[in-house]
Amino acid sequence: MTTVSDPHPPRLQRPPAEVRHADELAGLRAGDTGPRPPGWQLSLRAALRFVVGDPDAGISRKFVGSPSLVERALVTLATNRGLMLVGEPGTAKSLLSELIAAAVSGTSTLTVQGGAATTEDQIKYSWNYALLVSEGPSRRSLVPAPMLRGMAEGRIVRFEEITRCPLEVQDCLLSLLSERVVAVPELDGDDGMVFARQGFNVIATANTRDRGVNEMSAALKRRFNFETVFPIPDLDTELALVEAESTALLRESGVERAPDPDVLEVLVGTFRELRGAPGQSDRPSAVMSTAEAVSTAHAVGLRGWFLRGEAGNAADIVSCLAGTAAKDSPEDLARLRRFLEQQARLRRGAQWQALHEARHLLDQR
Amino acid sequence: MSDAGVTFLGVRHHSPACAGLVRRTIRAHRPAYVLVEGPADMNDRIGELLLGHELPIAVFSHHRGTERVSTSWAPLCAYSPEWVALTEGRAAGAEVRFIDLPAWHHAFTDRPDGAANRYADAEARYSRATERLRARYRVDTVDALWDRLFEIADPDGLRDRLDAYFALVRGDTEADDGDRAREQYMASWVRAAVAHAGNRPVLVVTGGFHQPALRALTTAPGTTPGAEPAAWPPVPAPPDGAVGGSFLVPYSFRQMDAFAGYQSGMPSPGYYQRLWDEGPEAAARTLRRTVVERLRARHLPASTAALISAHTLTEGLAALRGHPHPARVDVLDGLAAALITDDLDQPLPWNTDGPLRPGAHPAVVETVAACTGERTGRLHPDTPLPPLVHHVTADEIRLGLDGDRTLDLDLTNPRGLERSRFLHQLRILGIPGHTRVTGPDHGADPRDHETWEPRPRTGRDAALTEAGAYGARPDEAAAALLTRRLRDTGTAADAGTTAALLFDAVLCGAGTLSRDLLDGLAHRIRTTADPGPLGRALAVVLGLWRHDRVFGTAREPLLGTVLDHAVDRLFHLVEGLHGGPPGVDVPRLRALTAARDALLHAAPALALTPETAAATAARIARDRHAPADLRGAALGLRRALGAPAEPAGEAEAFAAAADPAVLGDWLAGLLTLAREEVLRPAPKGEQSLLDTLDGVVTTMTDDVFLHALPALRQAFAFFPPRERERVAHLLLDRRNLHGSARTLLRTSADPLLLARAAALEEHTDLLLDRHALGAPR
Repeated sequence: MTTVSDPHPPRLQRPPAEVRHADELAGLRAGDTGPRPPGWQLSLRAALRFVVGDPDAGISRKFVGSPSLVERALVTLATNRGLMLVGEPGTAKSLLSELIAAAVSGTSTLTVQGGAATTEDQIKYSWNYALLVSEGPSRRSLVPAPMLRGMAEGRIVRFEEITRCPLEVQDCLLSLLSERVVAVPELDGDDGMVFARQGFNVIATANTRDRGVNEMSAALKRRFNFETVFPIPDLDTELALVEAESTALLRESGVERAPDPDVLEVLVGTFRELRGAPGQSDRPSAVMSTAEAVSTAHAVGLRGWFLRGEAGNAADIVSCLAGTAAKDSPEDLARLRRFLEQQARLRRGAQWQALHEARHLLDQR
Repeated sequence: MSDAGVTFLGVRHHSPACAGLVRRTIRAHRPAYVLVEGPADMNDRIGELLLGHELPIAVFSHHRGTERVSTSWAPLCAYSPEWVALTEGRAAGAEVRFIDLPAWHHAFTDRPDGAANRYADAEARYSRATERLRARYRVDTVDALWDRLFEIADPDGLRDRLDAYFALVRGDTEADDGDRAREQYMASWVRAAVAHAGNRPVLVVTGGFHQPALRALTTAPGTTPGAEPAAWPPVPAPPDGAVGGSFLVPYSFRQMDAFAGYQSGMPSPGYYQRLWDEGPEAAARTLRRTVVERLRARHLPASTAALISAHTLTEGLAALRGHPHPARVDVLDGLAAALITDDLDQPLPWNTDGPLRPGAHPAVVETVAACTGERTGRLHPDTPLPPLVHHVTADEIRLGLDGDRTLDLDLTNPRGLERSRFLHQLRILGIPGHTRVTGPDHGADPRDHETWEPRPRTGRDAALTEAGAYGARPDEAAAALLTRRLRDTGTAADAGTTAALLFDAVLCGAGTLSRDLLDGLAHRIRTTADPGPLGRALAVVLGLWRHDRVFGTAREPLLGTVLDHAVDRLFHLVEGLHGGPPGVDVPRLRALTAARDALLHAAPALALTPETAAATAARIARDRHAPADLRGAALGLRRALGAPAEPAGEAEAFAAAADPAVLGDWLAGLLTLAREEVLRPAPKGEQSLLDTLDGVVTTMTDDVFLHALPALRQAFAFFPPRERERVAHLLLDRRNLHGSARTLLRTSADPLLLARAAALEEHTDLLLDRHALGAPR
């Protein structure tokens, strides 16, 4: 359990969702009369309101994507299939899984971070070797990893970047998801089988950019319902999000000047243009996500403030984009250059013209 | 009953819930008059609608004024509230009248979006209120909201809910001039009907968006029903010089479906038909079964376990969303979540407003198709034929094409051209008859004669009636069909195929080049990834834009737009080309040649200036990762565009190309693009391309030269003999030698033999050198 009840917790860089939104969760729980799936801390409807917001009840909107995606995700978790969130990097998959875990189980910290070095130990259990040597295998010497804990406590376990794990390691989830039991052969009797309590399920996230879901085994794919998380479809919502997030970041970095909305609009417009339409064959290899737009906006603000004592301008965008859109691919650089040369010129607004004028900065990095 | 015996029913077009409400209301009130939103000029011919057709059908209206042509459709299916009002009204002994302005009226045709469909959702044009509702109910689309509030909700209190919904939608929005004119006109019918009805009830069935305004207009002070004159409002006559009319045409669910790009509003006609016939539970079940059948028929995975999961998810979603029965989106969401085990590259179409885009996941495509349904309408045999049939018959006689002779048409002669266009229009529409055996194949094709041979004409009448749904005249119909074909080709078509469609459009006559078709082409061009097909399209379009006097497309501004997109796209693509197999990619070079010609001869149509293009070309020419032929071509392009010589950059480019392995490719690229520039002497004080080339070749060692020789020969074979002589002449001048350039080109021996001799000589020299026997050289 990781319920943090200390009224004055030490200031954390980024507390988990259940701490950040503890008040909202408590309020929802108190007023929740809907039927709860076994093992859930909230009803489905209350969990939905927590994630997509409910202005009347003072619940903030935390995820700006499609509400029906969240509905499908919640219903999936109430069934016996796992939930797989896939999508481009920076589309708030991890945030969504964190919010859902916090709403459903009250904790979002039972997390396995997938990677090339992830092993089965980090998923199921390992041993406290000092105790193992002195006492032999026992409940005391067993060190449960997130999956085992989630099963025993009946909670949601998050598995981040699952496709970055080796296939063999991914496949250890197979029996766990279908039989809902983990065998601990070292222990005798009842202790040798850990059965999942109600409320246990898995939210996995996978990134379509690095290895994609094609490398997952068909057997594992079958045990998940897939949900693709898309970039924010409309400009206004994305712009508002980038403005809010980058303003907060800049404040934390000690920048006293809020970003210029016109400059931000140019920045977000450029990202959306470079991101390309879905299905388009020549989309950039660099990630043009909202998250990347926020970090570019942050960098633009930093440049403006610390180099010149003002808000960032269009020329700063070009300088920063050279490092974002054109990180390692000459194609992306060409794409960006064409955009600045051709399209930026045709758009209306002083900042777009400034962006066009600043295009030479691309070649001076 | 409300308002002096008048009941106003605000409906959504193609809504089964509203259709049911209309049916219940008519059966309960047995009104004397049923007034329906529909073209008043059809009132004399309501009988035609009730002949006993197989639905769906559409009232197709066309109008040709002095300034513009407009066509519109009002689709009717079994669950259209308007259709139910018509049939139930008749059955109840009521007088049924259409009360809206005719389709040709400027209230429709002046609309900026050019709404071609009377039963498009009016509220879609006033989206602020629906947007607020959508956010409030936390649904993705207005359709999902509509289903939740009306289609699957309890029918009790439906009317009050509808009234509240439409009052809210209409609420603070200001209707446009067209809508206000229609509402004034419809209100005058309502007042007349009330006057005629006396104390008997009157039912008014209109789009819900108009209902609050109509109610206000008919009950406003000064318009007391009894005081109105009892005359029915006149049907406005079309302006002088205009022709038009309305006809019934067969329609299909596919044409009605919003997912396929139709602007009607209610999507998924197949599903709603079942909802109307069998109720929500059965409709959901049938939909699920149809999807699975379709998937299995196409060998896509749909396991039993996945189906159980889909069912569970649907039930869960319906419960979470508070639906008493599973709604359309609950079924679709459940199926998608359970059946799709991949990442998608576009959102699920039922979660967004808008058509299904190319490249959708096959399971999504099948699901959408299952919702659309297969039903196609058929008209009763006694129905008057659509205008297309009459126009085609008349034109055939006028143009002398009704016989079965072989036709030889001279396209330079106006009558020949007109006959050719007409035959091409019929060909596009799939009307059996003449078939073309010879004729021009592209915009720059010099042939100006066509031969058409007769073919059996069986099935011609049926084909014409069916094609009648696309337009009143063959040119309009062909344009509409080409536009649709372009949309249907999806991702399978490259820009080359699209250019072929464009050429078809040109063959049908420049007047039919609809904006839609060119927009579609421009879109296809924007998404093409291969320069080859793009170049073909560009060449076709450029040929048409520059030369085509036969078909009259020269300087056509819309073609200019396509040119602009194609050139822009091409530059975008080639700058990103890196690596690839060695060798000359001829289609790519042709594409660049087409781009060069466009920049030189169609500059006013392009946003890309020659200066920018030259700068891009210079970057490609210097880019060591670009394929050699492309680098050479870029250098040639830069010169061909008349950019000033840039010795430093060119020297760098030449140095990179001096490798014999790539020299041939590089030269082929250069000479393809800058053939004339090579033959032209440089202005005083500047180095010509030939000077630079000569410099490179002269400084080659014999060994390198021999290696490069095949490539050099291949590259210079590009010039015809006369131009080769010119090159020789320039080379002689350069060396201040006098002599016949021609003899320089004629070798007395086989060049292969010479090369072999040179190789032998080189080898001998090497041997001598190795053994220190050679004379100092």
